[in-house]
Amino acid sequence: MVVRFRRRARNEGRPTETALGALAPAGMVATVIYVLFIGLPVAALLVRAGQQDGFLAGLSGDLVLQALRLTVVTSVISLAIVVLVGTPFALLLARRKSPALRVIDTFVELPIVLPPVVAGVAMLMAFGRNGLLGPALSGVGITLPFTTAAVIFAQIFVAAPFYIRAARIGFAAVDPAYEEVSQTLGVSPWATFRRLTLPVAWPSLLTGLTLAWARAVSEFGATIMFAGNLTGRTQTMPLAIMTAMESSLGAALALAVLLLAMSALALAALSALLRRPGAPA
Amino acid sequence: MTQRSDAAAFGRFAVGLGAFRLEFCFSVAAGDVLVLFGPSGAGKTTALRAIAGLARPDHGHIAIAGRTVFAANNGAEPAEIWVPPHRRGVGYVTQQNHLFPHLTVLRNIAYGLRDRRGALARRRVAELIDRLRLNGLEERRVWQLSGGQQQRTALARAMAPSPDLLLLDEPFAALDLELRRELGAELRATARQLDVPVILVTHSREEALALGDAVQIIDAGRTVALGPPLTTLEQPGRGRVARLVGVENLLEMRVAARLPQDGTMVCDAGEHSLETPLADGCAVGDAVTVGVRASDIILASGPLPQSSARNTWAGAVSAVTPRPPGYEVALDCGGIVLRCHITGASLESMSIAPGMPLWAIFKASSCFLLSE
Repeated sequence: MVVRFRRRARNEGRPTETALGALAPAGMVATVIYVLFIGLPVAALLVRAGQQDGFLAGLSGDLVLQALRLTVVTSVISLAIVVLVGTPFALLLARRKSPALRVIDTFVELPIVLPPVVAGVAMLMAFGRNGLLGPALSGVGITLPFTTAAVIFAQIFVAAPFYIRAARIGFAAVDPAYEEVSQTLGVSPWATFRRLTLPVAWPSLLTGLTLAWARAVSEFGATIMFAGNLTGRTQTMPLAIMTAMESSLGAALALAVLLLAMSALALAALSALLRRPGAPA
Repeated sequence: MTQRSDAAAFGRFAVGLGAFRLEFCFSVAAGDVLVLFGPSGAGKTTALRAIAGLARPDHGHIAIAGRTVFAANNGAEPAEIWVPPHRRGVGYVTQQNHLFPHLTVLRNIAYGLRDRRGALARRRVAELIDRLRLNGLEERRVWQLSGGQQQRTALARAMAPSPDLLLLDEPFAALDLELRRELGAELRATARQLDVPVILVTHSREEALALGDAVQIIDAGRTVALGPPLTTLEQPGRGRVARLVGVENLLEMRVAARLPQDGTMVCDAGEHSLETPLADGCAVGDAVTVGVRASDIILASGPLPQSSARNTWAGAVSAVTPRPPGYEVALDCGGIVLRCHITGASLESMSIAPGMPLWAIFKASSCFLLSE
């Protein structure tokens, strides 16, 4: 997590590199191997996409455009809900200490380690037609599985922990003593949150938001179990790629390049925002 | 402990924090500095926090600038009057200063002002930057400041909204001696000029003497002494208080003779004897504790041939320890060790070293009786 406001040590000089000295050659080899390992497939994807017939047609094809629109819309809605619910939740986790909250705190991170397919099955068991809440939901005319809403459910389930965890760490790093001083300066608790807590925790929140969004966009397993793979309704980009691989490699490559571009853009935007001195106050 | 009706801030309240309980009563006039003095854990910070509204007393009342900000009867819940911290008009500076890390010096100072970008706010901030000599540092990040600059920024920030009461919790503790004095003087002048009452928590006798109009000594949640700094700190009447304010030499003695014609009496302990001012209510044979401040003792390489000082003890130096800005010399006078404070120059010119024989000379009026 990014901790930006640490006080800089003055005149401590450059650290000695004793440990690194011994391992430097191994480090360099490892670096080369790692860069190739990640870089080669990415480069291959781009090269292959450039050569592929029907790549440009694929980019503007119905399958791609529908999947793109659905992915953007659902991930933005998911993220909005995650922020709305996750922010006060994370603040509570960061500030209150109680046995119950400690248990919940551990529980929050469960979806990070849970295989998404299991999450999908679990959601079917809860909200499906024959699930725990199924009868009650259909009683009021609500069907969740295999709808766009189910896509959003799946995304929130897997993505929320990334934001909540980062936000909790960010809020925990703001000593409540600062908030007390802020209040003695005539600033109300709510304004203190807006003018002090939020800006100081901002780098963490932003990092969490980016990770959560990336996770929501790439969501596959839970979605296909709980929401299915219906073009235009539940077929997000990862699902569309899998479908297209069977019929049109051009469309699949177009989707893959698009997702790659979106991810790279998000990463670049994040680091640009974090480098900016002074967050919004 | 009476509450003056002209006090700008006063109150009497009790706070319970687990097993700890603070009973506190205070009163401070505009432009005055009330010093809270006492050992760690005595309840000084808790007192400040309760006044600021950051801790909730069980019962009592607190008034600031003619407005009751807290009032509750014993056990009555919820409090009958409770003004939240952000409406109390109280400036609070902590030891760690808690400057906001995401803001520049300028914006830290302006933080508590309404309409922070208005002309009025800008004038106020500029005035404080001038007064606390922060010119040129306006756009710095707070972690780029020195300790003294940080503390000055914290003071400026607390003063900017023109508080009705300023609470300072060991604001200079992290600073070196010189800076401490300098900032203390600035604070003193500023409080007078702005006519704002100040409550200052400190561990330092020097600071309490230099800055306080009154000193309130707190121990284990209770006020054990209250009065002008000189009388409270220099001639503390009670044993517990004397120990708290650090009278270096406390001698267990017995009254040997009363000399009303000289206004003195003779006390002795074994073969040691000394003269103290005559005290009422103690008869020959009574046990007394005599206090002598380390800085009131003169060290000489021989007994003075003729002097007005009534007490001269011979001894040998048992230890010399640095005690900035000077040194503390422990003089073993045959069973009783006297602690004496001298300057580095004296130490050098007399070439004082352990083992050296010296004479301790002090006036009868430098001795005072402590009644437990």
